[in-house]
Amino acid sequence: MAICKSRLHSACGHWLVAVLAPLFLLLQSPAALAQDNNKPVRIGVPTAMQLQVGRDTITAIKMAVDEVNKKGGILGRKVEFVVADETENPETGISAIRKLLANEKVDVLIGGYTSGVTLAQMPHISAAKTIYLGVGAASPSVTNKVKTDYDNYKYVFRVGPINSAHQARALVDYVSNFVIGELGYKNIAIIGENAKWVQDLVPLLSKGAKEVGAEVKLTELFDTQTSDFSPLLAKVKASGAQYMIVIVSHGSSDILAKQWHDAQVPVPYGGVDVKSMDGDFFKRIGGKSISQVTVNFAVRTPLTKKTIPFFDEFKKQSPNYPVFTAFFAYDAVLLYADAVKRAGSFDTDKIIKELEKTRHEGIAGEISFDEQHDLQTGKGKYNLLFVQWQEKGERAVIYPKELRNGDFILPPWMKK
Amino acid sequence: MEILIHGAVSSAIYAMLAVGFTLIFGVARVLNLAHGSFYALGAYGTYVATAILGWPLLPAALMAIALVALFGVVIEKIFIRPLRHSQLGVLMITLAISLVIEQALFLIFGSEYRNVPAFIQSKVTIGGIDIAGQRLLTVAVAVVAIGALYLFIQRTRLGSAILAISQDAEAAKYMGIPSDRIFSLVMAISAALAALAGVMAGPFLSVQPAMHLLPIMKAFAIVIVGGLGSIPGSIVAALMLGYAETIVAYTISSSWTEIVSVLATLLMLVFRPAGIFGKRAAF
Repeated sequence: MAICKSRLHSACGHWLVAVLAPLFLLLQSPAALAQDNNKPVRIGVPTAMQLQVGRDTITAIKMAVDEVNKKGGILGRKVEFVVADETENPETGISAIRKLLANEKVDVLIGGYTSGVTLAQMPHISAAKTIYLGVGAASPSVTNKVKTDYDNYKYVFRVGPINSAHQARALVDYVSNFVIGELGYKNIAIIGENAKWVQDLVPLLSKGAKEVGAEVKLTELFDTQTSDFSPLLAKVKASGAQYMIVIVSHGSSDILAKQWHDAQVPVPYGGVDVKSMDGDFFKRIGGKSISQVTVNFAVRTPLTKKTIPFFDEFKKQSPNYPVFTAFFAYDAVLLYADAVKRAGSFDTDKIIKELEKTRHEGIAGEISFDEQHDLQTGKGKYNLLFVQWQEKGERAVIYPKELRNGDFILPPWMKK
Repeated sequence: MEILIHGAVSSAIYAMLAVGFTLIFGVARVLNLAHGSFYALGAYGTYVATAILGWPLLPAALMAIALVALFGVVIEKIFIRPLRHSQLGVLMITLAISLVIEQALFLIFGSEYRNVPAFIQSKVTIGGIDIAGQRLLTVAVAVVAIGALYLFIQRTRLGSAILAISQDAEAAKYMGIPSDRIFSLVMAISAALAALAGVMAGPFLSVQPAMHLLPIMKAFAIVIVGGLGSIPGSIVAALMLGYAETIVAYTISSSWTEIVSVLATLLMLVFRPAGIFGKRAAF
């Protein structure tokens, strides 16, 4: 091998490849062909394992995989899954995806949470030509790539959540129909964390709110590291706002709730608060989120015939009720299995064609994709629910009106 | 008025953190990067005792502070003392300790935020400003704790020994002051102050595994601005930073506050590297 260390090493490399490559092919191909029909379908699950969204993704995928396997698997192949921790950091996210693709050789990816991480992973997903069903990232940029560069990004679908542009529209509806229409609060403040998806959402929201006659008294973004919200809360109070819209996912919404509660800020609040979607959020912060409204995609109420059985089954496997990633992760496994069955093969392009035609009854509504592979909303489909924390940590849907199952309550210090 | 009160709260927490940090440096020349971990352990200790063991808050808090002080002594004896001749060695070992503690908290409790109960649940209104009772209490506790520390150092024999060592460790040794025992004591005080800050601030700031970073960053900024090893300097700098951040949050935006301390540190290092009270003595 001394020759390989010389200047001739590149020639040496070619020589080695020329000899070894056919050898490998010879060794692998018959075995690989024979194995293909028996070896399990591997689902790669990149998710933030240390967070509730991640743990619940895993539990839900396990539930769905068990269900599929009980019915004989996908085209006769058993299904198994392997998890990689993508955290909330894009670089770790890339290593997680590479681990799943290169080492674990997964057939499909189901997972995700942080949009920035998903966006960083997308080139790797596209290069590996592997189908990716997102269940956590909300930035429209993810599926915009499918539209602008279909050939490269057709592998990516958003099973959930509803993208942040649709969320903004739903939030505007909530403000106009409920906060202004029903509660009669015309002066609002908008605060949110300084992150990509919020920067996308806030202008839409304040424009929409102004159109329906609300006066936006204050708009402010805070750093996700912010640990003291009292100046901000004091500003909101001083602005004369009657209702505070909050948009936060990675920031410390628990501290916000605690400080809002402890200073008894006389402004009720609600909006998109991802951590407050956790089933144990109320308990975790000592009940201080009372009367806070946050969006959710499903709660234990009969939205479809699957909703309540899913919640109850999940509760058996986990100490808490599921968060949103669980609904979509569960739905994603089942709708992928259906698409493969309809395609009749594991050919990626055929599966993509079938996924595009998906009409799947999910946990909280029908799942179908638009032309850029994004989850559609509307009647009978997934919708944004506005859910309020009430006494003893109960949760009530207060908007949309047709799904309401409880009355809006004020914070205890504002009750007359 | 709002700025006055909220600034005082931030300053009080910063002062509790920075005084302990500067004390152990001034006396033992130990730059303790695990200082923030004491703060984190104080909060987590209280969390465990109240939420898991179901203790009432006051004994839980006292127990947490005492345990952290003891833990500080153990850390000093086992890890720091053998390396004290080397500043770099101390930096490395304390950094390692802080990372180990962070990972341990992460594994045991997960990355979610935990709830530490407040001593005072109700709010107080001062001059038309609503403020959580816990915050006012934090200011009071900080003033009392730092005041007591000052009296202890100025009025007692042990305090004199601490002073003596900080001024000239060699000479103090020749006078028969047992420097190792004094170092243990100072470490205990320093750790207890940080734990106290964690217990007081836990209810309104975040309690999660990486929570040691914020105090260590702030304590660093404060002692650089105030002068390493100077307690009055730390107090003055804590007030300056606490108020500067609050003013920025009120007048500009909350997203700008975090840059204040970094900027102050940088400017100070460029223009007056020794800090405001720039002697290399402790007091």
